[in-house]
Order: sequence, then C-alpha cells, then structure tokens
Amino acid sequence: MTERLRQSARRLLEEGKVQVVIGYGAAGRPALITRAEDAGKLEWNDRCLANLAVYLTRKDVKALGKAAIVVKGCDERALVVLEKESQIDRAALYVIGMACDGVDAPKCARCQVHLPRFADEVIGEAAQTATAAPGPNGLDRLMAKSSAERWAFWSGEFARCVKCYACRQVCPLCYCERCIADKNRPVVIDTSASPKGNFAWHITRAFHLAARCVGCGECTRACPAGIPLGLLNRSLAQATEEHFGYRPGMDPQAEPVFGAWSPSDKEDFIG
Amino acid sequence: MSPVLSVAELSELVAGWIGQGKFVAAPVQVGDRLMYQALATAGQAVFAPKRRPSNSIKEFFFPRHEPIFRYRLEGKEIALSDVIPEECEQIVIAAKPCDAAALPILDHVFNWDFEDGFYTARRARTTVVTLACAAHDDACFCTSVGAGPEDESGSDAMLFDLGDGKFEVRAITEKGRALFGGAASTEPRPSGSGLAAEKKFDAARVARYLEANFESPLWKELTLTCLGCGACAYTCPTCHCFDIVDEGNAAGGSRVKNWDSCQFPFFTLHASGHNPRAVQPQRQRQRLFHKFLIYPQKFNAVLCTGCGNCERNCPVGLGVLKVLEAIDGEQRRRDEKEPVQA
Repeated sequence: MTERLRQSARRLLEEGKVQVVIGYGAAGRPALITRAEDAGKLEWNDRCLANLAVYLTRKDVKALGKAAIVVKGCDERALVVLEKESQIDRAALYVIGMACDGVDAPKCARCQVHLPRFADEVIGEAAQTATAAPGPNGLDRLMAKSSAERWAFWSGEFARCVKCYACRQVCPLCYCERCIADKNRPVVIDTSASPKGNFAWHITRAFHLAARCVGCGECTRACPAGIPLGLLNRSLAQATEEHFGYRPGMDPQAEPVFGAWSPSDKEDFIG
Repeated sequence: MSPVLSVAELSELVAGWIGQGKFVAAPVQVGDRLMYQALATAGQAVFAPKRRPSNSIKEFFFPRHEPIFRYRLEGKEIALSDVIPEECEQIVIAAKPCDAAALPILDHVFNWDFEDGFYTARRARTTVVTLACAAHDDACFCTSVGAGPEDESGSDAMLFDLGDGKFEVRAITEKGRALFGGAASTEPRPSGSGLAAEKKFDAARVARYLEANFESPLWKELTLTCLGCGACAYTCPTCHCFDIVDEGNAAGGSRVKNWDSCQFPFFTLHASGHNPRAVQPQRQRQRLFHKFLIYPQKFNAVLCTGCGNCERNCPVGLGVLKVLEAIDGEQRRRDEKEPVQA
C-alpha cells in the first residue's frame, strides 16, 4: 500500500495536478510533500494517527497550492462536513483514501468506516467492513452515573487542563479565524486554567462542535493531560443522532442540523 | 537508618510529610499517563516509574494560573489587596533529573531584572528529591544539552533505584540532608551507570547555525506541520512565558499571571493588527532561538534539559529534537565544506 501511495503522490506532483500532498511521513508524522522526488518519504502504517484534514483550512498550507490529502475512512468524514460548511472546494481537492483495518488507537474498536467512501482513489482493501455493534464503552459507563458523579468526574479531569489548546488546534472542524477563547475585548472565556476557565472552555467547545463533530478523537489523542475530551463530543453526537437522525460526515446529501430548518423539527426537548 | 530505604519506608516518610500538612508531589498514574501531581495519600506516588511523566515539576514553582493581587471597585475608588502567600513547605519526590535541572535555569529568568517574589518564595520552601534516571526513550536527549541521567543540578537529594524495591538516598544540599536526616548518604557515588541516551546533536554547532540563519528555507521545511498548540511549551520544564490579565466582574477581581506560549498567534499580535510572527514556522524558529541562542547568550546555559516532553506530547510528533538534528546535520555539512577556523 505504501508503494502505491508513493506512486500516486509522485504522479500527481509530476503532472502538476497538485502542488502539495498532505500525507504521513516517518513514524506516521504528518508530512507536506511538495516535490515529486520526495514522494518516497510518504509512509502508511499503524502510526498514521493524525486526522490530516486539519491542514486543509490552514493559511500556510493553502498557500502551497492545490492539495491532495491522504485520509482514513474516519478522517474523511471531516471532509464531508468541511465541504458542507463551505470551507473546502471538494472539486479542487484530490483525496487519496486508505483502506484501514485500524491504526494504533483505541477509537478503532468502534470504527464504522474502514473504507473511505468518497475518495478520488482508494488504496488497499480493508479486511473489515464495519465493526460489529460495539459493546459498552466509556461514554455508556459515564452516562450510567448520576449527574453529581459526572460533575465530579469532569471536575477531576478538567483540573488537569493547562489550556494549551491542543484539542482545538488538532480539530479539523475548529477552523474559526478567531476562536471565542481568544476574544479579549471583552474576554468571553477566562484565559486562566482555573476551574471556571476550564469548564467554560470545554463546554463551549463541545457545544460549538455539536452536530458537527465527526468523532475522529483527535482531541483526546492530543491532550497532554490525558483528558478524554471526545466523550463530551460523543455525548452530543449521540443526542444529535437520537433527535435528528443525523450523523455528521456520514452522508454528503444530508442537510446539517444547524444548516437546515424544517417545520417538523422537534421542540419538545427544549425547556 | 541506613542510607538505603525500601519502598515501604519511603512511603512511610511521605505519609509522615503529608500528615504534617506539607505539600508533597510525585509522579502519579492518571489513566494511561504518568503525571506529577499533588499527593492526597502516599500510596498514589510512583517512586520508580518506567517512563517520564508527561508534564513537568515547574508548576509547583510557577503555577499555570496565579493571582498576583486582587482589586475591588468601590464607587470611583479601586481598592487593591495583596494575595496572602502560602507558607506551607513543599516536597517534590521521585522527580526526573531533567525536571530538577530546569530550576536553576528558571532561577535566572525569575531573578534577573526583577525578583519574582512568588517564584522565589516557592523555590525557598521546596525540597526537590530526584530519582536517578535508569532508562531513556527515543525522545530523550539530556546528554546533548550537557545534562545526564544522574545530573544533580536542581536536586536537593537523589534516590538511586537499587532494584528489589530498595533505594539508596544521597543528600546533595543542606535541605536534602535535613529532609532525610540520617537516612541519606553524603558520599559521592561512582557515576556512569551507562544508561545515558547517546548524544544526538552538538548544541554549540546548533547555536552557530542559528546565529547565521534567521532566514532559511529550512524553517518552513521542518516546521510547517506544527499546528500551533502549546502542548510543547506547557509540558516543557524550562518554558516560562506568561501573560498578565485582569479577571473578574463589575465588582472586582484579580490580576492573574497565566502560562502563555510563543506558539500561539496571539502571543505577538499587536494592537494595530500587525503580527511580526505571522506564520507558524516563524513561531517555531522563535522557540528554538530562545532556547539555543538567546538564553545561552544571556545566561551561558541552554534553555532545555533534553527531557523530550515536547516531542512526546506533540500531536504531530514534532518537538525540538527532530529540528535540532536536522539543523545540526546541515551545519556539519557546511563545516565539512568550509572548515571553521580554530
């Protein structure tokens, strides 16, 4: 698969179809390949954890020119949402999908998209098509607790937050030019890594990602304090699915919950 | 007591300190991570961890968030009040030598043109007990910045893991001796356990490259994948930048000192809207310049202890080591072409 990936990247760069290939290099670290002769630096292995879609909205990367991007099925869901939110021009992007039986990440146990579905080309074949209904997970265990216990859980977790914003920076859907956490005239969210500042930040972020988060789990992976931030997003994703039958990034035809209105929208859960 | 303590004896000592109302911090297992934390009980401490904690001990001296004074708005008057300093004795135990070595480095910064009373007071009331390092991983590079697995810099006492749950205790300073009393040896110990990480770059050669290459295509080539979070800076034992903001409501609040990072775009954003460090590679360059050229020129030491936390905690696996190895290699190639005059 690695060889086919390199060939494809080399061809795209040689033919001038793209100016940069956003892929994985040594040890699975993200790599931005701009020269055909460097295509050999691309790798595909179980350390390819990052969701590279985050680079598509970054000014420095956009400045490199037309891009090809290497995605796993899970990462690809972010492309669907980015397109829906008019952040990328899908037609101008070349997507190299990698069939994936799981990388070295706990989230892979819940994977539903081993095979990218909308890529311009898919490399490899996945042995698995969809993981059998996953058993009770961290979210189920947490939601089984009382609200007081959940408050205690998050108080303990957020106490370790240092406000490094790795959760935001790795998130492919946190593309705001100026994040609410950086607003200082006036300050909206205390910049302090205090209980108040940390709760305000994580709750605001979770709500801003409601019905948008594709569950790639990058926030959890990136957190240097080991806070399972993805649980917040997954709980909102579960609510979105339950109330609106919507799963972000799964169906390019589906209208995003916050981007569409219908007279039949439920209102009984408000209040 | 002999200068050898068992885990049970160490644990008993720690329980005693906690019982006396002292603040004790040590590596603690948190989920799948090891982190320095304040101990509620002695049993939480991991005295001989197999790997490095993912944070650093700096926050026990330089907290991530600290009020420096409080204010109240009373009509048209503003009433200021000092923050009452804590006085409780602090002990950090089983810290890595690469964490302790950061303290003398930070001392320069917090006592240079202005004495930071909050920092110096914590330094004065803290005893640091390190554990000589017996293992290293691919991200470690203490030997490349002049430190080592048994480096005593910043330590008041050092534990040596003898295996079988036994530790030899060696006092380094008066504070360390006072903490362990007769349980610590003061004899020098034959060094060189042979476990040090290999030297991965030459810091002097790196500084030479930096001096001549503020502008270089290498910065963009090596660091464009940086996503601009502060995970490296906030888990770094030596990074010490902070921001000062007022936090409160219409009635009053506090002026607080919060950690900040040169990797954030807003770190250098001017009120005019101009940003002198407009793109991420310029911010990465700044971090390396500060650590390996600017600080060394001012204080004659490198602003890095080689702990490797920046790489281990980086969501895209960047850290300083990969960049330093690359520029060290580049400078070596240049030196081979044009040998430096002795």
